[in-house]
Amino acid sequence: MATQTLGGKEMEVDEDGFIQKPEEWDQGVAQDLAKTEGVQDMSDNHWKLVHYLRDYYLKFGMAPMIRKLCKETGFSLKEIYEMYPSGPAKGACKVAGLPKPTGCV
Amino acid sequence: MTTVFAAEPMPLEEKIAKFHELFETKINRNFCLSNGACVHCGLCIESCHYYMATKDPKTTPVYKTDAIRRIYKSRHDWLSRVVPFWTGAARVRTREDLDRLRDIAWGSCTMCRRCTINCPMGIDTALLIRSLRAILYAIGEAPEGVVQVCKDQYEIGNQMGVSDEDYIETIEWLSEEHATDVGDPRAKILLDKKGANVMYVVNPREVKYAPLTLLAAAKIMYAAGEDWTMPRSGWDNTNFGLFAGDDKLGAKMGRALYEKAQQLGVKKVVVSECGHGFRATRWEAPNWAKMDLGFPIESFLETMAAYVRDGRIRLNPACNGVAVTYHDPCNLGRSSGLTEEPRYVLQHCVTNFVEMYPNRADNWCCSGGGGAMSMSEYTGRRLEAAKIKADQLRETGAQIVVTACHNCIDALGDLIKRYKLGMKTATVGELVAKALVLPERPEAAVPVQKPLEKAPGVPVKVLVADDDADTRVFLSAICEDNGAVAVTARNGNEALELARSEKPDIITLDIDMPGKHGGEVYECLKKEDALKNIPVCIVTGQPKLRGLIYDLEVPHPEGYVDKPITEETILLNLRLILNLRQ
Repeated sequence: MATQTLGGKEMEVDEDGFIQKPEEWDQGVAQDLAKTEGVQDMSDNHWKLVHYLRDYYLKFGMAPMIRKLCKETGFSLKEIYEMYPSGPAKGACKVAGLPKPTGCV
Repeated sequence: MTTVFAAEPMPLEEKIAKFHELFETKINRNFCLSNGACVHCGLCIESCHYYMATKDPKTTPVYKTDAIRRIYKSRHDWLSRVVPFWTGAARVRTREDLDRLRDIAWGSCTMCRRCTINCPMGIDTALLIRSLRAILYAIGEAPEGVVQVCKDQYEIGNQMGVSDEDYIETIEWLSEEHATDVGDPRAKILLDKKGANVMYVVNPREVKYAPLTLLAAAKIMYAAGEDWTMPRSGWDNTNFGLFAGDDKLGAKMGRALYEKAQQLGVKKVVVSECGHGFRATRWEAPNWAKMDLGFPIESFLETMAAYVRDGRIRLNPACNGVAVTYHDPCNLGRSSGLTEEPRYVLQHCVTNFVEMYPNRADNWCCSGGGGAMSMSEYTGRRLEAAKIKADQLRETGAQIVVTACHNCIDALGDLIKRYKLGMKTATVGELVAKALVLPERPEAAVPVQKPLEKAPGVPVKVLVADDDADTRVFLSAICEDNGAVAVTARNGNEALELARSEKPDIITLDIDMPGKHGGEVYECLKKEDALKNIPVCIVTGQPKLRGLIYDLEVPHPEGYVDKPITEETILLNLRLILNLRQ
């Protein structure tokens, strides 16, 4: 298991760069993770999406369906891909500190 | 992502005994041939991307499969039984032996089969690796990522653990998005439509995270006027039974899909752009499920190629103006022979197609095959082995790499980032959808049951122009049964004369006719002041001729119907056109 400096602290990450301990996530970590996903500046909208993903994960222990994500945050599919070019699974979920999605992703 | 499967811890000795027991159950003709026929010629060595990136002899296909061969020989080769030290035959004995096999099976081979086509003896390395995986999986020596996905397919029925409720809500939501996308409130994604022509099955990734590919497919089928549906169950086209070597899971996933198709009575099953999903559904799972299907299964690549060939969709390549290359997914190109369909479609929807070398059956693996994307522990090695793929992509100079597999899309995305190639990825369907010229299709409307009359008691006059006598009788009978009067023309010249003398209220026009063809007649009609306001419904058995009408510099026809025609379709179109006019 590799470690990486994120938000000024040493964090354990898996080989795909997803953090291993969601409880150690904070905004600084998210900002550094965002940079690895090609997002240099986190706008309010970027945060809105990330907070929704994280809250959902803490409540249900899994990533939400893209439908829920769009419906609850009010963003269209296109807007989500514009914000996180790697898409919701590998981009936004990673920044929100979720584990790597399972399966062909 | 449900709770992780906890295998009953098995003592090492028991594990090893079980390993050898299961090994014997894997022996069939292919397995024997692939174990017995290797002459260690070394032709496979440079066909493997792991070797090409590392130059480590331990990553060569022959070295990896020799680990299996040794075990096989220890029991089944007479020379090895007598002098095992000479042939290298050996049984599994220690934890280290198991670890080495585990590393080979899951972390050092993407089962891409490139070595197989380069092997003069036809040794199927992927078959050996799959057999080894099957044994390891059964004794609890599989990566957590693979176990999790298999568990979700067993228990929930799809590889991403999407509940029935979430699936149905998502499709209903996408149905609305689809209607907005094509600008037609009547456009729908229907669930469980009985007797549909196409049952479209997807990779759960499209439902859970990445629905743009599904929307692209919906748009293409809408434009082609396809009669299609998605099933409520049995909708996952992927099958981790292939990667885990679990034939029982393979059979379960296949059966769920096939039985659904039989229950709905669809004409064919179309598998979305997914490499292993197509291979499993089309070639492997019917054998695992031991089912006689009675319906064909095709890849969406074949469906799109047929739409283009038959003129059912119109594409404007200028919409995709940048340089585009195509990556052949192993399971579609090498293992299923689908190499020309994607190129044919791309030639029609992009302006600058550049070939990648090597290509087709000889293409390099995306580096993420064989379920590698679900095994994080090997990601570092996977991306290192992707070096030759990265060089190959860079060489094309293309800005977009197109491929027909979700797994390849993600793997290529990862290596593009790692090797800083600055390219984008896309599926074939996404580029087709972008280049689509949507037709005006009144035929999808809600039927209205009014008689064909201009005013109460005043019949509509229909001119039926068709060179086929049966069609003339059929169409005029339908019109007359519904309150219209019909006049018929046998060729293009007659159609024009009758249009002038009879002043019909509507014309049904065949394209392929002797004398003036339908395109010329249509142009004359639309250019003549006295005739240009008569609505025309094209009725043709040759969709590829539609260019003769739609490429003309006159307004498009009011209706368009493909033969064979049904009473319902033609009436719907006539009513709709006439009501719109009134």
